[in-house]
Amino acid sequence: MKSFRSSMIPLALRIALGAVFIYAAIPKIADPVTFAGSVAAYQILPYFWSYVTAAVLPFLELTCGLLLILGVRVRSGALIIGALNVVFMAALSAAMIRGLDIDCGCFRPDGPKTAPWVALVRDAFFLAMTASVLRYERVRAR
Amino acid sequence: MTQKNWLKTSLEIAVIVFASALFGIAWNRTLLADAWRGAPAGQAAPRQSAPGSQQVEALPMPIALAQVKELHDSGQAVLVDARSAASFAKEHIAGARSLPLEEATRQATPQLTGVAKDAIIIAYCNGFSCHDSMDLGKLLIKAGYASVYVFEGGLPEWRDGGYPTTGGKQ
Repeated sequence: MKSFRSSMIPLALRIALGAVFIYAAIPKIADPVTFAGSVAAYQILPYFWSYVTAAVLPFLELTCGLLLILGVRVRSGALIIGALNVVFMAALSAAMIRGLDIDCGCFRPDGPKTAPWVALVRDAFFLAMTASVLRYERVRAR
Repeated sequence: MTQKNWLKTSLEIAVIVFASALFGIAWNRTLLADAWRGAPAGQAAPRQSAPGSQQVEALPMPIALAQVKELHDSGQAVLVDARSAASFAKEHIAGARSLPLEEATRQATPQLTGVAKDAIIIAYCNGFSCHDSMDLGKLLIKAGYASVYVFEGGLPEWRDGGYPTTGGKQ
């Protein structure tokens, strides 16, 4: 029973994290213009690069989410997701420091507004999940 | 982890990032080309409207504060306030004109008197939590205006930037 539980927890974590990133990617792929607006709201990237980010980022999230769910190249997928979370947290922190009253643009670009600090806490949780996935992956690879 | 493993992981990461970027750019090539040229909103990233409809709905392009300021100062754009007439009277971006979403919806194909169909129009409202400017932008595109943008930061971002507003009437 114990071994069943200890094998199920890493699997559940990996699938949950993958599902979150797929869930985040799909609305952005469907509506890149609105997502570009969310990226532009952070006032970090030049105008055109907001569009490049809006074009590329959702596909990176989707690919990594699929890799985690399928259990293929898990370490690479999780490392990218971890790096994305760090970037998201840096951008959210910058928005908070500058006092920008913006929607985080994390999931549905046209959905209800999520304050940057809420998104920051959520991203910290996802980062912890990523660290767990990487840890289990390292144990499994031994 | 051995050096060989690190190399393998780094290579995998590079391939994943490169493939995703390539696919994303290819998928959104029209949008990116339009954004690069600063092309009219109507041509960018059209998306399918309600199921059963054969129409493809065109969306206004988002535009950032710096570009709005530049177009405002050079007089190249017409700024349209999508908020209520009362909010407009209280405070609005200097030089903007009022077209409340409610009124535009009533008109179905809203017309801006004295504004050419190919003029650059920037719709705004109360910031990112307000969707009236996007809805007004869609109506203006439907009405035949070719270069419609949405300034999603709206009046709050403009005011925070220290740029001029007018109003004060109740």
